[in-house]
Amino acid sequence: MSEVILEAKNIFLSFHGVSALTNVSFEVRRGEIFSIIGPNGAGKTCMMNCVNGLYHPKQGQIFFKGTDITNFSPHRRAGLGLSRTFQKIELFGGMTVLDNIRLGRHMQLRSGIVGSAVYWGKTKREEIESRRFIEEEIIDLLEIEAIRNEVTGMLPYGLQKRVELARALALQPELILLDEPLAGLNLEETEDMARFIVDVNEDERWKITCVLVEHDMGVVMDLSDRVMALNFGVKIADGTPAEIQENPEVIKAYLGDVEDLYVSRR
Amino acid sequence: MSYLPCGTYFESYGADHQWWRTSFIKGKMVLMLVVMAVFPYLVDPQWLSVAYTVNYYILAALGVQLLIGYCGQITLGHAAFVAVGAYCSAYMMLPQHFPWPQWIVDAGLAYPISMVCAGILAGLWSVLFGLPSARVKGFYLIMTTMAAQWITVPLVITQYVAQIGGRGQAFSLPEGTFRIGPVLIDSDTKIYYLSAILVCLCLLAMGNILRSRLGRAWIAIRDNDIAAETMGVNIVAYKLYAFFVSGFFAGIAGAFYISTLSFISPEHYEWFFSLLWVGIILIGGVGSIQGIVFGSVFVVMVFKLLEMGVMWSSGALMDSYPALGWITTKIIFFKEAAFGLAIIFFLTYEPNGISYRYWQLKNYFNLWPFSYTGK
Ligand SMILES: Nc1ncnc2c1ncn2[C@@H]1O[C@H](COP(=O)(O)OP(=O)(O)OP(=O)(O)O)[C@@H](O)[C@H]1O
Ligand SMILES: [Mg+2]
Repeated sequence: MSEVILEAKNIFLSFHGVSALTNVSFEVRRGEIFSIIGPNGAGKTCMMNCVNGLYHPKQGQIFFKGTDITNFSPHRRAGLGLSRTFQKIELFGGMTVLDNIRLGRHMQLRSGIVGSAVYWGKTKREEIESRRFIEEEIIDLLEIEAIRNEVTGMLPYGLQKRVELARALALQPELILLDEPLAGLNLEETEDMARFIVDVNEDERWKITCVLVEHDMGVVMDLSDRVMALNFGVKIADGTPAEIQENPEVIKAYLGDVEDLYVSRR
Repeated sequence: MSYLPCGTYFESYGADHQWWRTSFIKGKMVLMLVVMAVFPYLVDPQWLSVAYTVNYYILAALGVQLLIGYCGQITLGHAAFVAVGAYCSAYMMLPQHFPWPQWIVDAGLAYPISMVCAGILAGLWSVLFGLPSARVKGFYLIMTTMAAQWITVPLVITQYVAQIGGRGQAFSLPEGTFRIGPVLIDSDTKIYYLSAILVCLCLLAMGNILRSRLGRAWIAIRDNDIAAETMGVNIVAYKLYAFFVSGFFAGIAGAFYISTLSFISPEHYEWFFSLLWVGIILIGGVGSIQGIVFGSVFVVMVFKLLEMGVMWSSGALMDSYPALGWITTKIIFFKEAAFGLAIIFFLTYEPNGISYRYWQLKNYFNLWPFSYTGK
């Protein structure tokens, strides 16, 4: 087994006294696809936000590559190689696709105020090199050549999801948090997106560890190495997809008790 | 077919990153520079002062555009930073306050150096008032930037800075103060050339910043600050950079404008100007560099034409009906009213500003032989 890249220890999170996460712990190993499942409102997005730094857990610690990042701001976590996509698309609506992706490379670029104002020598070389990377590694991989100069606010939903993935990849992260990347996509787009996720996870040049939140159980069970199930902010199970499918707690969380089922059928 | 940009393809990333990518655009820009260069020889001298006022407004509104149009930080106190730049440069130009080594004065470097210092000081002053942007957004930020105006101009500058040397408010700038290298800035033509050069340099710098890391981070903060932060942008730092660069341009504008004045007084930096520059970018188009130019030209021309109209009509009025002379004193106020009406008109009928119409026109001609309607 490979090393642990992300570890959450005893995370508690609450909003105005209503607890959203209660004592959640998990480990993600380098190179795997780790999925978080659970019914609506289970706290999956909250967990992502804690890992990413948008929410601060009331208690508990988060370690990334062995560093305690619990008190780091989101941009410092990005600097360590942590990237994400959002459930509700959060693109820069006024920028073109290319500029959105370029922004993802913010941490890779170095030029300062004077260098930018002059745009000569180092800045220019670095911009062109970054453009080359974006075109050849990302746009080519995600098949978005045709829309690279479109303003993202105008694009159809499926393409926006893809551009968001592109932007997250531009950071060249070691771990990427994918919050429902398949939600709202049609069958063809779902297949494409699942293929991209597998690509970046397995391709030698990327080798990105993925944390996936998804409701499409077929895809989750196919792609994941390990799965964690949450219900009402409590972790109810973790294990391989096969174990999770057999787990009575998980079945109960998704389907309710057998009696409930019987009652609701009537 | 290089005059039709729709058929041009680039073979390297470098070629696609050029400023002027097709020979058509190159030709257009060179033509523009040539027109700017020969402008003083084409027009009546009274238009020179109009032209350098336009350039002054462009320089000042540049920072406002940067903050409002590109970084999403609304500011209503920009005249304060222009004032800081102007006073900084003015003090550094007066030998009794600032003992330059003689060789710098002889080489004519004092003014350019003071200009850069003015930019830096105004930038830092702007950062000071930008600090609340770390905590507050939108409406609340408007209030804090207005505080910049009230604290800087009526208090710090009028009560303290303008009193240095026991002068009181107005503060004279003797002729022959402004020298760049061997050139003495003493005529409208030279002031015009100075302003034109500064505008070109500042617009170029701004354009370059916007297509590199810094500018993209600003636009990202404007569009979605949470996503920007998760992509690694340190939002607080980049907002402060935006305030610094915007203040820097304001400082340059202030330092330039004193060369057109024979004295400098806090009245040149009233709150009206802060509003005027915001109005300019609303009229020209928010989030567009051309918009600054269009807006400044529009506003200055409206003022100038009104002034000419008032002069002419009041002259005619006085000649024929001397008893109605009192009306002329009222017509003077039409200037501000016209500006207000222009803003109302643009917000209602042209919310995207003049630059949007320009963009449409350009697209129309780009597709010209096969233009189609429907979109
Ligand atoms: N900012 C917030 N303020 C208050 N309550 C919140 C906030 N964010 C989340 N919650 C609450 O926390 C709980 C978990 O929400 P979360 O978004 O993590 O669910 P989820 O598992 O992602 O659900 P879904 O599958 O619908 O995306 C919900 O009850 C939600 O109402
Ligand atoms: Mg969610």
